[in-house]
Amino acid sequence: MNQWLDDRLHISRLNDKFLRKAFPVHHSFFLGEITLFSLIVLILTGILLALSYEPSNSLVVNTFDPGTVTKPNLVPAAYHSALKINAMPFGDMLRRVHHWMANIMVAAAVIHMMRIYFTGAFKKPREINWWIGMLLLIFSALTAVTGYILPYDNYAYNTVKVVYAITGSIPWVGEWVAQAAFAGKFPGAGIIPRIYGYHIMLLPGILLALTGAHMLLMIKQKHTQPQYAKRVAYKKIVGVPFMTQQTPIMLVLALLLTGLVMLFAAFIPVHPVEFFGPPSTTPINNIKPDWYLLWVFGALAIIPSFEWHLFGGLIGAEFVGALVLPGIVMALMFAVPMLDRTTEHQYYAENPTNHPVRLAAGVAFFAMMIVLSVAGYKPELISSGLLTTGNANTILWILTLLVPAVSYFAVIGIVRGIRALREADERESLAHAHADD
Amino acid sequence: MTRYKKQDPEITRRKFINVAMGTTAAVGTVSLVSALGTANPVFRLTPDKAPPVKGDVLVHASESKEGQIIKVSDLSDQLVRAWPMGKDKDGNNVIRKGEPNNILALYRFPKGQLVEPTKLDATVNGEIVAYSDICTHAGCSVADSDQGDGMKCPCHSGQYDPKRGCKVIGGPPPRPLAQLPIKLEGDQLVVADFFASMPYPFLSETEWEKFKKEVEEQLA
Ligand code: HEM
Ligand code: FES
Repeated sequence: MNQWLDDRLHISRLNDKFLRKAFPVHHSFFLGEITLFSLIVLILTGILLALSYEPSNSLVVNTFDPGTVTKPNLVPAAYHSALKINAMPFGDMLRRVHHWMANIMVAAAVIHMMRIYFTGAFKKPREINWWIGMLLLIFSALTAVTGYILPYDNYAYNTVKVVYAITGSIPWVGEWVAQAAFAGKFPGAGIIPRIYGYHIMLLPGILLALTGAHMLLMIKQKHTQPQYAKRVAYKKIVGVPFMTQQTPIMLVLALLLTGLVMLFAAFIPVHPVEFFGPPSTTPINNIKPDWYLLWVFGALAIIPSFEWHLFGGLIGAEFVGALVLPGIVMALMFAVPMLDRTTEHQYYAENPTNHPVRLAAGVAFFAMMIVLSVAGYKPELISSGLLTTGNANTILWILTLLVPAVSYFAVIGIVRGIRALREADERESLAHAHADD
Repeated sequence: MTRYKKQDPEITRRKFINVAMGTTAAVGTVSLVSALGTANPVFRLTPDKAPPVKGDVLVHASESKEGQIIKVSDLSDQLVRAWPMGKDKDGNNVIRKGEPNNILALYRFPKGQLVEPTKLDATVNGEIVAYSDICTHAGCSVADSDQGDGMKCPCHSGQYDPKRGCKVIGGPPPRPLAQLPIKLEGDQLVVADFFASMPYPFLSETEWEKFKKEVEEQLA
């Protein structure tokens, strides 16, 4: 059969080009793969969910609690269908796996990106893939946020309300853009169908296209080689071929990941729609976005209020906190490969400690993200008595600047210290070696 | 090599193709932009989406009591949420909750506690005051603070002082909550006028003024 196919499709050329691709063996190289497998599981569970989900925010009678004939209990159809999915055999499980996997996907992508950054794998010639990776990260977050809104419970409702307001805060065009993006003045009759379209067609399409490009570039440019490859065979590509050695590794990894997430999902519920209830005007106390957007949320919580009028447009704290600031952070991340001025091609993954400034800058960056995320817990910090309403903003601002600065210099100090010790050791052993002669 | 030297053409092939592609791209983009316009549906101001207007009666918004007319004795220094209830063209009662930003916050404080910048002549007897319950920051519904110091928004912990005109006392909100002038008619709380300042989601006074005119014309 192979022969038959080969005659017609030239499978063997495919084999030479793609299926023999060498995969370096190192656990940190699995992070990207985990991201990929999560996307696949998300698509599969997402398709299953879409079979039973009803994308509409028109009101229907809640069949689980119909109310009376004169005063029927009306809930949005989307919320009702989420209740129905929960009532299906394994339905709640399906929702949980989909939701947990979305978190795992973003987490794996973030850690994957850290690996790329700290080992210098973004350097020439792989800048384009760093940029594609950035886009993947942004679009994954957007996909997850739109998915969050679909069950249309009170939590989702409050989330989309804030998302709408953030869109509307763009100067000059905000209100128009928000209405165009969310099907009319909030909450428009078409808001759920619109978001459903984004979540299951537009955004997954973009994600798949970007993922394809990411993979093709990776195959074309090859992985950076781990340090051991330098010793094994200098400037040669070292690794196991995709077919057949890498495939079982990947299969095991994919199944292990899915298994773990299912186990997780079985024990830890996520987004309990019954608990939050249908959309209402009762606010949810201490509502929070998912963890990967907590830093934006924290920044919003500590930015003082201001309004600045410019040519009839309005630039407010919300626009600056939720769009300009993340925009700057994203721009910085996009700029990472351009800050590096080497002209040589990068073959080997670098030891992070050989590049103390890059290492320290990265650590400081993550430290700042973490402090800002903690700032997202400002209400809790205040009610627990750690901070007061009066001093919370000042203290959180100081921490936001101080913690990254301290971690920057600490990392540089530690790396220099270790290097000095190592060099001293070498000199000493050299001296002893001479003495032994 | 060629025997016939071409008469210099008026336009090279490359240039022609570039111009043709440019035109196609421009026309395509413009048509796509016009298609984008259809993504934004037309807004119709129906009675259930109109803002609170003069003569509206305030009714309970909480799920268990929704639609019941609010009595003075229902109110205290704890927030009570209310909807404005008006009439449609046929004179039927309409709770104006088609626009979720119409949700109101009501308080009754002992006399003397409500002070400037609260508009005291827009309160009932300097005791009962009504505000928009929608945070001017990003439009979340504001609640009583769990610390007992005024109102707190659950979204980004914006804080307001309902005894002092709901001015901002913490967090990101840019403006105080808009106060709604009310009066007592019989034992019903009735709206006396539009919001005294622009409520969420309005961003400019001119737009708010324009909207008030539009509403008045529709109702007339
Ligand atoms: C690619 C195909 C995908 C399809 C067809 C799909 C479909 C769906 C559907 C129908 C729902 C509503 C489920 C419910 O009633 O709760 C949903 C929810 C959700 N989706 Fe997806 N999805 C896909 C991909 C993704 C991706 C890539 C992510 C994230 C990176 C994601 C994250 C979410 C989240 C967080 C929810 C909320 C789940 C809940 O609270 O129940 N989805 N998705
Ligand atoms: S919406 Fe109220 S503080 Fe942001």
